[in-house]
Amino acid sequence: MAYLNIENLSEKYGNLYVIKDFNLCVNKGDFVSIIGKFGVGKSTLLKIIAGIMPIQEGSIIVDGLAPKEALAQRMIGIKFQKSNLLPWRNVLNNLLLPLELSGINDNDRALELLELVDLKPISDLSISQISGGTEQLLSILRCLMLDPELLLLDEPFSSLDEITREGLYEKIKIIQTAKRKTVLMVTHSINEAIRLSDKIIVLSEKPTKVKKVFNAKKDKININEIKKCLR
Amino acid sequence: MFKVKKSLIYLTIISLLWQALVYFFNIPTYILPSPIDIFVSFSNNHMLILRNLGITILEILTGFLLANLASLMLVCIAFYNKRIENIIFPVSIIIKTIPIIAIAPIIILWFGTGFVSKVVIVILMCFFPSLINMVGATRMIDRNLFYIFEIYSASKKQIITKLIIPATLPYLFSSLKISSSLAVIGAIVAEFMAVNKGLGFLIMSSYYSLNMPMVFASTLLICLIGLLFYYLIDTIEKCLVNWQ
Repeated sequence: MAYLNIENLSEKYGNLYVIKDFNLCVNKGDFVSIIGKFGVGKSTLLKIIAGIMPIQEGSIIVDGLAPKEALAQRMIGIKFQKSNLLPWRNVLNNLLLPLELSGINDNDRALELLELVDLKPISDLSISQISGGTEQLLSILRCLMLDPELLLLDEPFSSLDEITREGLYEKIKIIQTAKRKTVLMVTHSINEAIRLSDKIIVLSEKPTKVKKVFNAKKDKININEIKKCLR
Repeated sequence: MFKVKKSLIYLTIISLLWQALVYFFNIPTYILPSPIDIFVSFSNNHMLILRNLGITILEILTGFLLANLASLMLVCIAFYNKRIENIIFPVSIIIKTIPIIAIAPIIILWFGTGFVSKVVIVILMCFFPSLINMVGATRMIDRNLFYIFEIYSASKKQIITKLIIPATLPYLFSSLKISSSLAVIGAIVAEFMAVNKGLGFLIMSSYYSLNMPMVFASTLLICLIGLLFYYLIDTIEKCLVNWQ
Protein backbone atom coordinates (compact mmCIF):
# COMPACT_ATOMS: atom_id res chain seq x y z
CA MET A 1 0.00 0.00 0.00
CA ALA A 2 1.23 3.50 -0.85
CA TYR A 3 2.52 5.68 1.97
CA LEU A 4 0.60 8.71 0.73
CA ASN A 5 -2.58 8.10 -1.17
CA ILE A 6 -4.66 10.92 -2.67
CA GLU A 7 -7.94 9.98 -4.30
CA ASN A 8 -10.23 12.25 -6.31
CA LEU A 9 -9.16 15.34 -4.43
CA SER A 10 -11.02 18.49 -5.50
CA GLU A 11 -10.78 22.00 -4.17
CA LYS A 12 -12.84 24.93 -5.29
CA TYR A 13 -12.97 28.65 -4.57
CA GLY A 14 -16.61 29.63 -4.92
CA ASN A 15 -17.83 27.72 -7.95
CA LEU A 16 -14.43 27.49 -9.60
CA TYR A 17 -12.46 24.27 -9.27
CA VAL A 18 -8.74 24.93 -8.74
CA ILE A 19 -7.98 21.24 -8.21
CA LYS A 20 -10.21 18.59 -9.79
CA ASP A 21 -10.12 14.82 -9.30
CA PHE A 22 -6.48 14.79 -8.29
CA ASN A 23 -5.02 11.31 -7.72
CA LEU A 24 -1.55 10.48 -6.48
CA CYS A 25 0.28 7.57 -4.84
CA VAL A 26 3.65 8.04 -3.18
CA ASN A 27 5.67 5.14 -1.80
CA LYS A 28 7.60 5.30 1.43
CA GLY A 29 11.09 6.78 0.97
CA ASP A 30 10.31 8.25 -2.45
CA PHE A 31 11.25 11.74 -3.52
CA VAL A 32 8.37 13.01 -5.63
CA SER A 33 8.29 16.38 -7.37
CA ILE A 34 5.17 18.11 -8.55
CA ILE A 35 5.71 20.49 -11.47
CA GLY A 36 3.21 22.97 -12.71
CA LYS A 37 2.92 26.54 -13.86
CA PHE A 38 2.45 29.47 -11.46
CA GLY A 39 -0.94 29.66 -9.79
CA VAL A 40 -2.16 26.14 -10.52
CA GLY A 41 -2.70 25.43 -6.83
CA LYS A 42 0.51 23.57 -5.99
CA SER A 43 0.91 25.31 -2.61
CA THR A 44 -2.78 24.79 -1.82
CA LEU A 45 -2.32 21.10 -2.56
CA LEU A 46 0.56 20.86 -0.08
CA LYS A 47 -1.43 22.69 2.61
CA ILE A 48 -4.31 20.24 2.16
CA ILE A 49 -1.96 17.25 2.37
CA ALA A 50 -0.38 18.80 5.48
CA GLY A 51 -3.78 19.03 7.14
CA ILE A 52 -3.72 22.80 7.62
CA MET A 53 -6.40 23.32 4.99
CA PRO A 54 -9.57 21.18 5.02
CA ILE A 55 -10.35 18.60 2.34
CA GLN A 56 -13.43 19.70 0.39
CA GLU A 57 -13.87 16.62 -1.80
CA GLY A 58 -11.98 13.32 -2.06
CA SER A 59 -9.63 11.70 0.40
CA ILE A 60 -6.03 11.79 1.53
CA ILE A 61 -4.45 9.00 3.54
CA VAL A 62 -0.98 9.37 5.06
CA ASP A 63 0.25 6.01 6.33
CA GLY A 64 -3.32 4.95 7.10
CA LEU A 65 -4.29 8.24 8.74
CA ALA A 66 -6.19 11.36 7.68
CA PRO A 67 -3.92 14.43 7.32
CA LYS A 68 -5.19 16.05 10.57
CA GLU A 69 -4.44 12.86 12.52
CA ALA A 70 -1.06 12.48 10.83
CA LEU A 71 -0.28 16.11 11.67
CA ALA A 72 -1.26 15.58 15.30
CA GLN A 73 1.06 12.57 15.44
CA ARG A 74 3.89 14.72 14.05
CA MET A 75 4.18 12.58 10.93
CA ILE A 76 4.22 15.58 8.59
CA GLY A 77 6.74 18.38 8.24
CA ILE A 78 6.14 21.27 5.87
CA LYS A 79 8.46 23.92 4.52
CA PHE A 80 6.86 26.90 2.86
CA GLN A 81 8.27 28.91 -0.02
CA LYS A 82 9.84 31.48 2.31
CA SER A 83 12.17 30.23 5.01
CA ASN A 84 9.85 31.60 7.73
CA LEU A 85 12.59 31.55 10.34
CA LEU A 86 12.07 33.72 13.40
CA PRO A 87 14.59 36.60 13.21
CA TRP A 88 14.54 37.15 16.99
CA ARG A 89 15.98 33.65 17.54
CA ASN A 90 19.45 32.50 16.58
CA VAL A 91 20.12 29.52 14.30
CA LEU A 92 20.04 26.91 17.07
CA ASN A 93 16.96 28.35 18.77
CA ASN A 94 15.10 28.39 15.46
CA LEU A 95 15.74 24.69 15.11
CA LEU A 96 14.69 24.12 18.71
CA LEU A 97 11.30 25.83 18.22
CA PRO A 98 9.32 22.66 17.34
CA LEU A 99 10.80 20.86 20.36
CA GLU A 100 10.10 23.82 22.64
CA LEU A 101 6.45 23.97 21.53
CA SER A 102 6.16 20.25 22.18
CA GLY A 103 7.74 20.53 25.61
CA ILE A 104 10.88 18.58 24.64
CA ASN A 105 14.34 19.67 25.70
CA ASP A 106 16.91 18.18 23.35
CA ASN A 107 19.68 20.40 22.00
CA ASP A 108 21.60 17.38 20.72
CA ARG A 109 19.04 16.62 18.03
CA ALA A 110 19.41 20.13 16.60
CA LEU A 111 23.19 19.98 16.77
CA GLU A 112 23.19 16.56 15.09
CA LEU A 113 21.11 17.92 12.20
CA LEU A 114 23.35 20.97 11.87
CA GLU A 115 26.39 18.69 11.77
CA LEU A 116 24.79 16.60 9.02
CA VAL A 117 24.89 19.60 6.67
CA ASP A 118 28.09 21.17 8.09
CA LEU A 119 26.28 24.07 9.74
CA LYS A 120 27.24 23.37 13.36
CA PRO A 121 29.80 26.24 13.48
CA ILE A 122 27.05 28.80 12.76
CA SER A 123 24.63 27.59 15.45
CA ASP A 124 25.04 30.79 17.52
CA LEU A 125 24.65 33.23 14.64
CA SER A 126 21.54 35.35 14.24
CA ILE A 127 19.32 34.90 11.18
CA SER A 128 20.38 38.27 9.76
CA GLN A 129 23.97 37.00 9.67
CA ILE A 130 23.34 33.97 7.44
CA SER A 131 22.81 33.66 3.69
CA GLY A 132 19.48 33.05 1.92
CA GLY A 133 20.54 29.52 1.00
CA THR A 134 21.43 28.68 4.60
CA GLU A 135 18.08 30.09 5.69
CA GLN A 136 16.28 27.72 3.31
CA LEU A 137 18.35 24.78 4.52
CA LEU A 138 17.66 25.65 8.17
CA SER A 139 13.98 25.88 7.41
CA ILE A 140 14.12 22.31 6.05
CA LEU A 141 16.10 21.16 9.10
CA ARG A 142 13.47 22.72 11.37
CA CYS A 143 10.85 20.53 9.66
CA LEU A 144 12.95 17.51 10.57
CA MET A 145 13.26 18.34 14.26
CA LEU A 146 10.25 16.25 15.26
CA ASP A 147 11.37 13.51 12.89
CA PRO A 148 8.33 13.48 10.56
CA GLU A 149 7.98 10.65 8.05
CA LEU A 150 6.63 12.86 5.29
CA LEU A 151 8.35 16.07 4.26
CA LEU A 152 6.41 18.58 2.17
CA LEU A 153 8.57 21.18 0.44
CA ASP A 154 7.00 24.16 -1.28
CA GLU A 155 9.42 25.56 -3.86
CA PRO A 156 12.31 25.42 -1.39
CA PHE A 157 14.88 26.82 -3.83
CA SER A 158 12.82 29.39 -5.71
CA SER A 159 14.53 32.49 -4.34
CA LEU A 160 18.08 31.20 -4.67
CA ASP A 161 20.84 31.59 -7.22
CA GLU A 162 22.09 28.67 -9.33
CA ILE A 163 25.29 27.99 -7.32
CA THR A 164 23.46 27.97 -3.97
CA ARG A 165 20.80 25.68 -5.45
CA GLU A 166 23.41 23.17 -6.61
CA GLY A 167 24.86 23.02 -3.09
CA LEU A 168 21.43 22.60 -1.55
CA TYR A 169 20.35 19.78 -3.91
CA GLU A 170 23.21 17.72 -2.59
CA LYS A 171 22.38 18.51 1.03
CA ILE A 172 18.70 17.73 0.59
CA LYS A 173 19.63 14.37 -0.88
CA ILE A 174 21.99 13.72 2.07
CA ILE A 175 19.16 14.51 4.51
CA GLN A 176 16.60 12.41 2.65
CA THR A 177 18.89 9.40 2.38
CA ALA A 178 20.25 9.65 5.93
CA LYS A 179 16.84 10.13 7.53
CA ARG A 180 14.90 7.94 5.04
CA LYS A 181 12.17 10.48 4.49
CA THR A 182 9.35 10.50 2.00
CA VAL A 183 9.52 13.86 0.26
CA LEU A 184 6.87 15.62 -1.78
CA MET A 185 8.27 18.74 -3.37
CA VAL A 186 6.41 21.36 -5.33
CA THR A 187 8.49 23.21 -7.89
CA HIS A 188 8.37 24.96 -11.24
CA SER A 189 11.95 24.04 -12.11
CA ILE A 190 12.26 21.00 -14.37
CA ASN A 191 16.01 20.67 -13.73
CA GLU A 192 15.47 20.67 -10.00
CA ALA A 193 12.84 17.96 -10.27
CA ILE A 194 15.04 15.79 -12.51
CA ARG A 195 18.06 16.18 -10.21
CA LEU A 196 16.25 15.18 -7.06
CA SER A 197 13.23 13.03 -7.79
CA ASP A 198 12.30 9.41 -8.16
CA LYS A 199 9.01 10.44 -9.68
CA ILE A 200 7.88 13.66 -11.39
CA ILE A 201 4.22 14.61 -11.59
CA VAL A 202 3.31 17.19 -14.21
CA LEU A 203 0.13 19.12 -13.50
CA SER A 204 -2.36 20.44 -15.99
CA GLU A 205 -4.02 23.83 -15.60
CA LYS A 206 -7.56 24.95 -14.78
CA PRO A 207 -8.55 22.78 -13.08
CA THR A 208 -5.37 21.20 -11.75
CA LYS A 209 -5.08 17.50 -12.49
CA VAL A 210 -2.26 15.01 -12.92
CA LYS A 211 -1.31 15.32 -16.60
CA LYS A 212 1.56 12.88 -16.71
CA VAL A 213 3.78 10.92 -14.34
CA PHE A 214 7.47 10.42 -15.12
CA ASN A 215 9.17 7.63 -13.23
CA ALA A 216 12.91 8.21 -12.92
CA LYS A 217 13.46 4.81 -11.36
CA LYS A 218 12.15 3.06 -14.48
CA ASP A 219 12.83 5.41 -17.39
CA LYS A 220 15.38 7.99 -18.32
CA ILE A 221 13.57 11.30 -18.07
CA ASN A 222 13.92 13.67 -20.98
CA ILE A 223 13.76 17.36 -20.11
CA ASN A 224 12.16 18.24 -23.47
CA GLU A 225 9.41 15.76 -22.88
CA ILE A 226 8.49 17.44 -19.58
CA LYS A 227 8.67 20.87 -21.23
CA LYS A 228 6.33 19.68 -23.97
CA CYS A 229 3.98 18.26 -21.39
CA LEU A 230 3.92 21.59 -19.49
CA ARG A 231 2.96 23.62 -22.57
CA MET B 1 29.07 60.34 22.80
CA PHE B 2 30.01 62.11 19.57
CA LYS B 3 26.33 62.75 18.87
CA VAL B 4 25.86 64.33 22.33
CA LYS B 5 28.90 66.56 21.80
CA LYS B 6 27.61 67.60 18.39
CA SER B 7 24.14 68.39 19.81
CA LEU B 8 25.69 70.44 22.62
CA ILE B 9 27.73 72.43 20.10
CA TYR B 10 24.60 73.14 18.02
CA LEU B 11 22.69 74.11 21.16
CA THR B 12 25.44 76.54 22.19
CA ILE B 13 25.55 78.10 18.72
CA ILE B 14 21.75 78.54 18.64
CA SER B 15 21.76 80.05 22.17
CA LEU B 16 24.53 82.49 21.22
CA LEU B 17 22.69 83.54 18.05
CA TRP B 18 19.45 83.91 20.02
CA GLN B 19 21.21 86.00 22.70
CA ALA B 20 22.80 88.20 20.00
CA LEU B 21 19.45 88.64 18.22
CA VAL B 22 17.74 89.82 21.41
CA TYR B 23 20.67 92.07 22.33
CA PHE B 24 21.31 93.73 18.95
CA PHE B 25 17.64 94.20 17.99
CA ASN B 26 16.72 95.24 21.51
CA ILE B 27 13.74 92.84 21.61
CA PRO B 28 11.67 93.33 24.79
CA THR B 29 11.55 90.39 27.23
CA TYR B 30 7.73 90.05 26.97
CA ILE B 31 8.14 89.34 23.20
CA LEU B 32 11.26 87.18 23.22
CA PRO B 33 13.31 86.66 26.40
CA SER B 34 17.01 85.96 25.93
CA PRO B 35 18.53 82.58 26.89
CA ILE B 36 20.14 84.30 29.91
CA ASP B 37 16.72 85.66 31.06
CA ILE B 38 15.25 82.16 30.69
CA PHE B 39 18.11 80.60 32.65
CA VAL B 40 17.83 83.23 35.41
CA SER B 41 14.06 82.70 35.60
CA PHE B 42 14.59 78.94 35.85
CA SER B 43 17.22 79.18 38.58
CA ASN B 44 15.13 81.68 40.59
CA ASN B 45 11.99 79.52 40.35
CA HIS B 46 13.49 76.06 40.02
CA MET B 47 11.63 74.62 43.00
CA LEU B 48 8.28 75.79 41.66
CA ILE B 49 9.06 74.56 38.13
CA LEU B 50 10.39 71.18 39.28
CA ARG B 51 7.39 70.64 41.61
CA ASN B 52 5.01 71.22 38.70
CA LEU B 53 7.22 69.19 36.35
CA GLY B 54 6.96 66.21 38.73
CA ILE B 55 3.16 66.36 38.52
CA THR B 56 3.23 66.56 34.72
CA ILE B 57 5.66 63.64 34.45
CA LEU B 58 3.42 61.55 36.73
CA GLU B 59 0.40 62.32 34.51
CA ILE B 60 2.37 61.51 31.36
CA LEU B 61 3.72 58.20 32.66
CA THR B 62 0.43 57.04 34.19
CA GLY B 63 -1.60 57.85 31.08
CA PHE B 64 1.06 56.47 28.74
CA LEU B 65 1.39 53.15 30.59
CA LEU B 66 -2.35 52.64 31.08
CA ALA B 67 -3.14 53.48 27.43
CA ASN B 68 -0.49 51.16 26.04
CA LEU B 69 -1.26 48.31 28.41
CA ALA B 70 -4.98 48.56 27.59
CA SER B 71 -4.31 48.70 23.85
CA LEU B 72 -1.99 45.66 24.06
CA MET B 73 -4.58 43.65 25.96
CA LEU B 74 -7.28 44.63 23.48
CA VAL B 75 -5.03 43.69 20.55
CA CYS B 76 -4.54 40.19 22.03
CA ILE B 77 -8.32 39.81 22.54
CA ALA B 78 -9.08 41.18 19.06
CA PHE B 79 -6.56 38.80 17.53
CA TYR B 80 -8.62 35.80 18.60
CA ASN B 81 -11.98 37.46 18.05
CA LYS B 82 -12.49 38.96 14.60
CA ARG B 83 -15.86 40.43 15.67
CA ILE B 84 -14.14 42.54 18.33
CA GLU B 85 -11.46 43.56 15.81
CA ASN B 86 -14.16 44.62 13.35
CA ILE B 87 -15.77 46.80 16.05
CA ILE B 88 -12.49 48.27 17.33
CA PHE B 89 -11.24 49.69 14.04
CA PRO B 90 -14.19 51.95 13.06
CA VAL B 91 -14.73 53.08 16.67
CA SER B 92 -11.02 53.89 17.05
CA ILE B 93 -10.96 55.89 13.84
CA ILE B 94 -14.07 57.87 14.84
CA ILE B 95 -12.69 58.67 18.31
CA LYS B 96 -9.27 59.50 16.86
CA THR B 97 -10.78 62.12 14.55
CA ILE B 98 -12.31 64.07 17.48
CA PRO B 99 -9.83 66.84 18.39
CA ILE B 100 -8.63 66.47 21.97
CA ILE B 101 -9.09 70.24 22.48
CA ALA B 102 -12.80 69.76 21.76
CA ILE B 103 -13.28 66.78 24.03
CA ALA B 104 -11.07 67.96 26.94
CA PRO B 105 -13.69 70.29 28.52
CA ILE B 106 -16.18 67.39 28.61
CA ILE B 107 -13.65 65.12 30.29
CA ILE B 108 -12.87 67.81 32.86
CA LEU B 109 -16.59 68.20 33.47
CA TRP B 110 -16.92 64.45 34.06
CA PHE B 111 -13.72 63.77 36.01
CA GLY B 112 -13.03 67.15 37.68
CA THR B 113 -9.93 69.33 37.47
CA GLY B 114 -7.64 66.93 39.35
CA PHE B 115 -5.17 64.21 38.38
CA VAL B 116 -7.74 61.77 36.93
CA SER B 117 -9.07 64.01 34.15
CA LYS B 118 -5.53 64.77 32.96
CA VAL B 119 -4.63 61.08 32.91
CA VAL B 120 -7.84 60.33 30.98
CA ILE B 121 -6.88 62.93 28.36
CA VAL B 122 -3.37 61.43 28.07
CA ILE B 123 -4.94 57.96 27.69
CA LEU B 124 -7.23 59.23 24.94
CA MET B 125 -4.27 60.77 23.13
CA CYS B 126 -2.14 57.60 23.31
CA PHE B 127 -4.61 54.71 23.26
CA PHE B 128 -6.09 54.79 19.76
CA PRO B 129 -2.93 55.42 17.70
CA SER B 130 -1.25 52.65 19.66
CA LEU B 131 -4.21 50.31 19.15
CA ILE B 132 -4.49 50.93 15.40
CA ASN B 133 -0.73 50.48 14.99
CA MET B 134 -0.66 47.23 16.94
CA VAL B 135 -3.71 45.69 15.25
CA GLY B 136 -2.04 46.54 11.93
CA ALA B 137 1.18 44.91 13.17
CA THR B 138 -0.56 41.61 14.04
CA ARG B 139 -2.11 41.56 10.57
CA MET B 140 1.34 41.86 9.02
CA ILE B 141 2.65 38.64 10.55
CA ASP B 142 3.18 36.06 7.81
CA ARG B 143 0.20 33.64 7.77
CA ASN B 144 2.62 30.74 7.24
CA LEU B 145 4.20 31.41 10.64
CA PHE B 146 0.83 30.70 12.25
CA TYR B 147 0.60 27.52 10.19
CA ILE B 148 4.03 26.49 11.48
CA PHE B 149 2.91 27.05 15.08
CA GLU B 150 -0.32 25.17 14.31
CA ILE B 151 1.66 22.23 12.89
CA TYR B 152 3.61 22.01 16.15
CA SER B 153 0.34 22.16 18.15
CA ALA B 154 1.30 25.41 19.88
CA SER B 155 -1.09 26.66 22.57
CA LYS B 156 -2.65 30.13 22.39
CA LYS B 157 -0.26 31.26 25.12
CA GLN B 158 2.73 29.98 23.12
CA ILE B 159 1.48 31.71 19.97
CA ILE B 160 1.16 35.00 21.87
CA THR B 161 4.46 34.79 23.75
CA LYS B 162 6.66 33.13 21.14
CA LEU B 163 5.23 34.61 17.95
CA ILE B 164 2.88 37.59 18.24
CA ILE B 165 4.79 39.53 20.91
CA PRO B 166 8.28 39.19 19.39
CA ALA B 167 6.98 39.68 15.83
CA THR B 168 5.15 42.87 16.78
CA LEU B 169 7.83 44.22 19.11
CA PRO B 170 9.39 46.58 16.50
CA TYR B 171 5.90 47.98 15.75
CA LEU B 172 5.16 48.23 19.47
CA PHE B 173 8.23 50.39 19.97
CA SER B 174 7.34 52.58 16.98
CA SER B 175 3.90 53.04 18.49
CA LEU B 176 5.41 53.74 21.95
CA LYS B 177 7.61 56.43 20.42
CA ILE B 178 4.58 58.07 18.79
CA SER B 179 2.65 57.72 22.05
CA SER B 180 5.47 59.27 24.08
CA SER B 181 5.16 62.63 22.32
CA LEU B 182 1.35 62.41 22.25
CA ALA B 183 1.36 61.78 26.01
CA VAL B 184 3.35 64.98 26.59
CA ILE B 185 0.96 66.98 24.36
CA GLY B 186 -2.07 65.42 26.09
CA ALA B 187 -0.79 66.27 29.57
CA ILE B 188 -0.01 69.89 28.67
CA VAL B 189 -3.36 70.37 26.88
CA ALA B 190 -5.14 68.94 29.93
CA GLU B 191 -3.25 71.28 32.25
CA PHE B 192 -4.12 74.27 30.05
CA MET B 193 -7.78 73.42 30.54
CA ALA B 194 -7.87 72.25 34.12
CA VAL B 195 -6.49 75.22 36.06
CA ASN B 196 -4.82 73.46 38.92
CA LYS B 197 -1.16 72.47 38.75
CA GLY B 198 1.49 71.07 36.42
CA LEU B 199 3.77 72.63 33.83
CA GLY B 200 0.87 73.43 31.46
CA PHE B 201 -0.79 75.36 34.24
CA LEU B 202 2.51 77.14 35.01
CA ILE B 203 2.91 78.10 31.34
CA MET B 204 -0.65 79.51 31.19
CA SER B 205 -0.47 81.40 34.50
CA SER B 206 2.96 82.86 33.57
CA TYR B 207 1.60 83.85 30.16
CA TYR B 208 -1.33 85.74 31.75
CA SER B 209 1.15 87.69 33.91
CA LEU B 210 3.43 88.24 30.87
CA ASN B 211 6.25 86.39 32.62
CA MET B 212 7.70 85.20 29.32
CA PRO B 213 11.05 83.92 30.66
CA MET B 214 9.04 81.55 32.86
CA VAL B 215 6.85 80.52 29.88
CA PHE B 216 9.97 79.76 27.85
CA ALA B 217 11.73 77.97 30.73
CA SER B 218 8.71 75.71 31.32
CA THR B 219 8.20 75.09 27.58
CA LEU B 220 11.85 74.24 26.97
CA LEU B 221 11.81 71.93 29.97
CA ILE B 222 8.77 70.05 28.70
CA CYS B 223 10.47 69.73 25.29
CA LEU B 224 13.49 68.27 27.05
CA ILE B 225 11.29 65.81 28.96
CA GLY B 226 9.58 64.73 25.70
CA LEU B 227 12.97 64.24 24.10
CA LEU B 228 14.36 62.23 27.02
CA PHE B 229 11.21 60.09 27.10
CA TYR B 230 11.59 59.36 23.39
CA TYR B 231 15.25 58.43 23.70
CA LEU B 232 14.56 56.25 26.72
CA ILE B 233 12.12 54.20 24.62
CA ASP B 234 14.60 54.20 21.73
CA THR B 235 17.34 52.85 24.02
CA ILE B 236 15.08 50.10 25.41
CA GLU B 237 14.13 49.22 21.81
CA LYS B 238 17.78 48.88 20.81
CA CYS B 239 18.34 46.49 23.73
CA LEU B 240 15.24 44.36 23.14
CA VAL B 241 14.82 44.46 19.36
CA ASN B 242 18.44 43.62 18.64
CA TRP B 243 17.75 41.39 15.64
CA GLN B 244 16.92 44.23 13.25
